[in-house]
Amino acid sequence: MHGEMPGFFPGRPGGEHDEPLLDMLLERRPIPPGAPPEMHDLARMLAAAAGPAESGELAGEVAAMAVFARRSSPPGISPAVSRSARRRLSGWSARGRAPLAAAVTVLTAGLGSTAAAYADVLPTPIQQFAHDTIAAPAPSGASHPSTASAASPQPSAGRQPGGAGRRQDHPAPSALAPGRGASQGPRDRQQGLDHGRKTGRNVPSCYPGHGLPQKPTPSPTKTPAPQGSGSYTWTPPSPSPQATDCVVLTTPAQPKTARPMR
Amino acid sequence: MIGAAFGATLASAQAGDEAAFACIFRDVQPALLRYLGLIAPEAEDVAGDTWVQVVAGLAGFRGEERAFRAWLFTIARHRAADAGRSRTRRPAVPLEMSEEVQQPVSADTADLALEALSARAVVGLIASLPRDQAEIILLRVVAGLEANDVARMVGKTPGAVRVAAHRGLRRLAGLAERADVTQ
Repeated sequence: MHGEMPGFFPGRPGGEHDEPLLDMLLERRPIPPGAPPEMHDLARMLAAAAGPAESGELAGEVAAMAVFARRSSPPGISPAVSRSARRRLSGWSARGRAPLAAAVTVLTAGLGSTAAAYADVLPTPIQQFAHDTIAAPAPSGASHPSTASAASPQPSAGRQPGGAGRRQDHPAPSALAPGRGASQGPRDRQQGLDHGRKTGRNVPSCYPGHGLPQKPTPSPTKTPAPQGSGSYTWTPPSPSPQATDCVVLTTPAQPKTARPMR
Repeated sequence: MIGAAFGATLASAQAGDEAAFACIFRDVQPALLRYLGLIAPEAEDVAGDTWVQVVAGLAGFRGEERAFRAWLFTIARHRAADAGRSRTRRPAVPLEMSEEVQQPVSADTADLALEALSARAVVGLIASLPRDQAEIILLRVVAGLEANDVARMVGKTPGAVRVAAHRGLRRLAGLAERADVTQ
């Protein structure tokens, strides 16, 4: 034992004499004043090693406290559970919002279209269709009672036949909507067309969505493949200055011009 | 060591008192980091893992301060072993500070330790001892564990722990003598 530390505790060969002092050091008890100076130095060193926290040694306190705060929450409402519950709730809410918004949109569109039909403000074919379907007033001055066999008061690309054809035949002119998406072009164009005329509506009820004919020539531009009972032909807006932005569906045998938008 | 107030502090912490837990943390964390600095290069990470496990089992702990410390340092030793196994699977460059702590074998290091007598420097000096002696001294002196607890942790008999601790202390005194600490 002493062989590995020659010269330590001189005058105390054998090592047994220092063991009580070493045990006292290990147990962090004060050593007697009469102990060899080496023992006192050793005691100082060990006291320093077991000393209070130095800089940076408590850096992990925030993380440990966070762990403790999470674990010490009352059972049943642990933050982890609450978080997942909140996540589930918000996810359900987000998922439920989309169908709800769609339902509200469809309902609003249906009611609006019905009201428009009864107010006799729809384009002639659609008004005629509404007249035949829901007993709305007949279109004023309508000479053809059934000009449209299929039309939607709120056209959408997915429901209207020939929606793709419209996009092909009437590409959005970049000059009208520079640097903007297709959904923005028609609105800008509509605003440009409405400029200078008195109108209380910015969006027509049968807005084609893309590109409008530059000339109000009432010639068919597209005859897409039929998707329902019969084929349909896009008829450009009527020459009426108030109808340049309105396009409706008509049957090929009975091309009709669109009714002016009000 | 918290001492006589440990029982009440522990009970408060077990009841969810953050201040009581902070008191325990501040009392133990320095010793924990100094011990882990010897046996794990990623001492702070292992300490964090240790506290996570301690917090998880805190409510079920029963015992006095000495037993609590023995429990906590046993967890730390196991987590360090886990980290060591993970490290061998994914070799990484050791941290610079850890190298300093584990290789302070020169006389200059001893001089610095004895001049400043900072805990970090002295722990570095202890780390220059043989691994088993250094670990036992740190567990006995820095962590404040009893010989029986240390013996259980390191897998030795209490007598072997005592002998190893004595040898380590003598060697440490020799380092201090070489550094002329008696002046």
